[in-house]
Amino acid sequence: MAQITPEVVLSYTKPASGYLCPLNANTFGIEFLKFEIKEYDTNTVVYQVAREPDSEPLPEVLDPEIEDMIRSVKYTFPASFLKFKTVRTLLEFCVGPQPVSNLRMIERHFFKDKLVRTYDFEFGFCIPNSTNSWEAIYDVPEYPAGVINDYVTSPWAHKSDSFYFVDNKLIMHNKAEYQYVQD
Amino acid sequence: MRVLMVGLDNAGKTTIVKRLNGEDITTISPTLGFNIKTMSFKGYKLNIWDIGGQKTLRPYWRNYYEKTDALIWVVDSADLARLEDCRAELHNLLREERLFGATLLIFANKQDIASALPVAELEKALNIGSITKRHCRVVACSAVDGSGLLEGFDFVVHDISSRIYLFS
Repeated sequence: MAQITPEVVLSYTKPASGYLCPLNANTFGIEFLKFEIKEYDTNTVVYQVAREPDSEPLPEVLDPEIEDMIRSVKYTFPASFLKFKTVRTLLEFCVGPQPVSNLRMIERHFFKDKLVRTYDFEFGFCIPNSTNSWEAIYDVPEYPAGVINDYVTSPWAHKSDSFYFVDNKLIMHNKAEYQYVQD
Repeated sequence: MRVLMVGLDNAGKTTIVKRLNGEDITTISPTLGFNIKTMSFKGYKLNIWDIGGQKTLRPYWRNYYEKTDALIWVVDSADLARLEDCRAELHNLLREERLFGATLLIFANKQDIASALPVAELEKALNIGSITKRHCRVVACSAVDGSGLLEGFDFVVHDISSRIYLFS
């Protein structure tokens, strides 16, 4: 299998099929502890999930269904989310006893198999045994009414791949699907 | 613009960034790694890297110097017992070659506390007068009441942008 590099995933024109690295590629013990999405202006929480770090490592062999449960998320958002002007996202994660030299996240969003957005962020170095956070406050472009309607009437057509690299080597790959419901 | 925020533990680095955004500052725990904040300020996109200041974390600061446009050093102006420690760490940092070109802002934080050292005295204690060859400003502030924060960040973005303009 060809090496999956940032350049490779940035060239994808539709969602990846399957997971491009095994769960145990994450030899750094990177674990997500919290993820939060808020509307900035009203401080309204749209999505929030938090967990404690794993007390035990995952077993070597996992049932594919269980692996999918761990690696993919289905989000249901209110349609009003598509009208927010400014969004605040918060990601909290911890790392294991080894230093992580160059952590980079690339997230690709597709709607109906067309690329709609790319997030590319370099965290850089992570201190051994540290807990870190990244909070981003960003303006969302205004969607035309027709586009919003298209998202609402096409549940799960919005998909994303999140890739995490350490020194340009893929160590984590997760997926998400989204649906928007009228509120 | 990449902004690196460091200083001794409990100086108020995380609280300053949160207060700048009007967030709740009632419960803030010690930073055991980094907190990155991506935000826009006065039309500029800032990436603020707030790194934990505990003694065990300080040796790792060097991993965050690369590409830094501005350095914000935060001082607990009321922590008189550790001023010498604070002075030594600051001057250590300023010897770092990768930070030579960075704008320097020193936040004299916790000015809302009665026993806080005023800026003039703090400058003496931290030997700010010896800092030459770089754009440097000391700004009195309080992350609790918000005073001084805008002035400090205004200086940072103006100084960086004037430099970028100069070289482009």
